[in-house]
Amino acid sequence: MRFDAIERHGMHDAPLQRVDARIKLIATLLFVVAVVTTPVGCWRFLMAEGLLLAFLIGLSGVPPQELARRWLGFLLLFGFLTMTVAPSRPERVEYGLGVVALTLLLKDSLAFLGTLLLAHVTPFHKLLRGLRQLGVPLTLVATLQFMYRYLFLLIDALDRMVQARRARTFRRSGRLDWGILTGLIGVLFLRSFERSERVHAAMLSRGWNGTLRTLDESS
Amino acid sequence: MTTDSTTPQTPEPSLLVRDLHYYYPDGRHALRGVNMTILPGESVALVGPNGAGKSTLLLHLNGLLPGHERPTVHAHGEGRRGKSAADAAIHVWVNGLAVCRRNAPEIRRRVGLLFQDPDDQLFSTSVLEDVAFGPLNLGVHRDEARRLALECLARVDLEGAADRPPHHLSFGERKRVCLAGVLACRPSVLVLDEPTANLDPRGRRKFIQLIKGLPATKFIATHDLEMVLDLCDRTLLLDAGQFVADGTSRDVLGDSEKLQAHGLELPLSLRFETERPVMPLSQ
Repeated sequence: MRFDAIERHGMHDAPLQRVDARIKLIATLLFVVAVVTTPVGCWRFLMAEGLLLAFLIGLSGVPPQELARRWLGFLLLFGFLTMTVAPSRPERVEYGLGVVALTLLLKDSLAFLGTLLLAHVTPFHKLLRGLRQLGVPLTLVATLQFMYRYLFLLIDALDRMVQARRARTFRRSGRLDWGILTGLIGVLFLRSFERSERVHAAMLSRGWNGTLRTLDESS
Repeated sequence: MTTDSTTPQTPEPSLLVRDLHYYYPDGRHALRGVNMTILPGESVALVGPNGAGKSTLLLHLNGLLPGHERPTVHAHGEGRRGKSAADAAIHVWVNGLAVCRRNAPEIRRRVGLLFQDPDDQLFSTSVLEDVAFGPLNLGVHRDEARRLALECLARVDLEGAADRPPHHLSFGERKRVCLAGVLACRPSVLVLDEPTANLDPRGRRKFIQLIKGLPATKFIATHDLEMVLDLCDRTLLLDAGQFVADGTSRDVLGDSEKLQAHGLELPLSLRFETERPVMPLSQ
């Protein structure tokens, strides 16, 4: 399963992994806010933030290549955001469009990498418990929990369907065309919908009445 | 067979079903007047071909059908009769208690329903949390729920897996966690949907032993006829929404012609038993 990589690092016994999830959550939030509010032109400040993140990544033992790979995956989105936001920034007059765009891209990347690091060094259930202890509403935490639980099943189901499709596709290219892909996504949606019906029935049959209760003392 | 729909029936049977009909939203008649009585402590198998209505019947036993919880639109609809779920006549009783929307919480405490796909039942981040889900919903205190969950996990030999996420368990282990989750609600009737489907032989054997050791009344829908011979004294054969046979498991599963007529076949162990006298030693 491709999400296992994230969990694997969370289980490591390194200094960052041992820190309480609540502290990591708050620290990450502060880091992201600091990065986002850094004005264009404060190079030293931005560099300090970058160095701090690099230090933490080194401390965590998460391979930088892996973070970079995930960052690359999001680069398109960052690029698009930068293109739409940069021309409307007033700093453009002082520094020029290129510098503003580059700063924005840098800030996006730092915030993204900071959050990614948090996900890598904290097992998901600890993250959820931390959120809950920090007072995030149970409904939201429960929704995240369901998402995480069934993400694995969805990915598995999609992999199986893609494989089954490939087994009946007689072309050299391993790539599926859009028409087939949209069909697969549609089927996947229907399957998840049916599964949600069954999950709901299973919850009802164990006495669920709309109130989520957990073993966690904080709830 | 029709009975007075409002008077409660005799409290003795664990499960009592009278003249139960059900229509799918597409109008197909899924259950056509099902009647059955299951006494406390009995272990009864429900067999029949795919699409016979087995799962539909099971969902009626703890009030999940017809859409008691959601009066608006339900995936299975409310049938063609045009009656709303609330004022529909009562056709199912559990230990004398009518299955209706008002009694749903108590009915669901009494009837433990094990679903076929363990992934439908396991949705928590940790195994312990999942097993404790039922007791917590029943209002059991956290510490007590934790203790109960650990105890039930020990009963299915999985006490070591308490803190693991469900997606890291094997299929057989997940199935056993589901059983622990159902047992944690301390039901008096266990309703199992295909308990041995997709299990490897070792997992299957283990699961059968587990079920065998449980004192509750059992109602098991399955295609695993060998398991039926092992676990159940009585077998009901359902086809096209009607019972076509009801008797001891050896009688029902020994009737080769009837089994074939309804999409099943003679279990191997019974076949050998009957054929042995005339079977050639070797070819």
